[in-house]
Amino acid sequence: MAVDPELLEILACPNCKTKVELVKGGTALKCPQCRRVYPIKDDIPVMLIDEATIEN
Amino acid sequence: MALFERKTETENVTGDAATRALSVAAVENDFVEGVYDKLANVYDLIFGPTLHPGRLRAIERMNIQPGERVLEVGVGTGINLSLYPREATVTGIDFSSSMLEKARERAARKDAAPVRLLQMDAADLKFADNAFDIVYAPYLISVVPDPVKVAQEMRRVCRPGGRIIFLNHFLSPNPILSRIERLISPFTVHIGFKSDLDLPAFVAQTDLKPVSIEKVNVPKIWSLVTCVK
Repeated sequence: MAVDPELLEILACPNCKTKVELVKGGTALKCPQCRRVYPIKDDIPVMLIDEATIEN
Repeated sequence: MALFERKTETENVTGDAATRALSVAAVENDFVEGVYDKLANVYDLIFGPTLHPGRLRAIERMNIQPGERVLEVGVGTGINLSLYPREATVTGIDFSSSMLEKARERAARKDAAPVRLLQMDAADLKFADNAFDIVYAPYLISVVPDPVKVAQEMRRVCRPGGRIIFLNHFLSPNPILSRIERLISPFTVHIGFKSDLDLPAFVAQTDLKPVSIEKVNVPKIWSLVTCVK
């Protein structure tokens, strides 16, 4: 199951607890606050700070 | 005469339930992840049938109503996924990507309820407060480095009046058995669990209010602990 709106509603950035947004055509989640991008690997969002990249 | 007194491991786990150590064994996330990466291919074979009656009882106790939101903390290989009613909204998290990969394969099967899978640390859940109706940790709490922190996070994401359910092996109240369980715990962590997790101390330190504690599986050395927030 891909990331659905209800899940997005309750999901927070591991770093700053801000709500995350779907980016890159649904293949990653981005925190608008700290700009960390969390990959979605094989439909599984990886909500770990160590796995995130920081993008502008 | 000793220059300083060193507490032995056994002394740390006796005394007041509110402060004593929950286990003689200490583990860290990286260690646990390594163990479960290795176990991913054989987990269902080793821990499948023996621990299954407890899983069935847990689902029964949850009494899941249509539309209820269930969070499974430590979803592992997804062994529970076919047990949930299809009307439930199931979310599963795990720290091990190898275990999650198995869960993803399982979720693709026809008999499994639809599930969202996410990789995260059980001690630091990335969900809003009160986001779930049922928060369930099957055979997890004796695996994690900090069981109290995990229980507090589970409580946080559970809505008021929701159910928080632990299915686990805990230290035996029998003095001989408990001594053996403490003795072997530093070794059992290598196959994925601490054999001496102290239930009274766990409950005292987590501020949980169990409404029932039942013995499950054969032999009946595992417990199903149901709490209401």
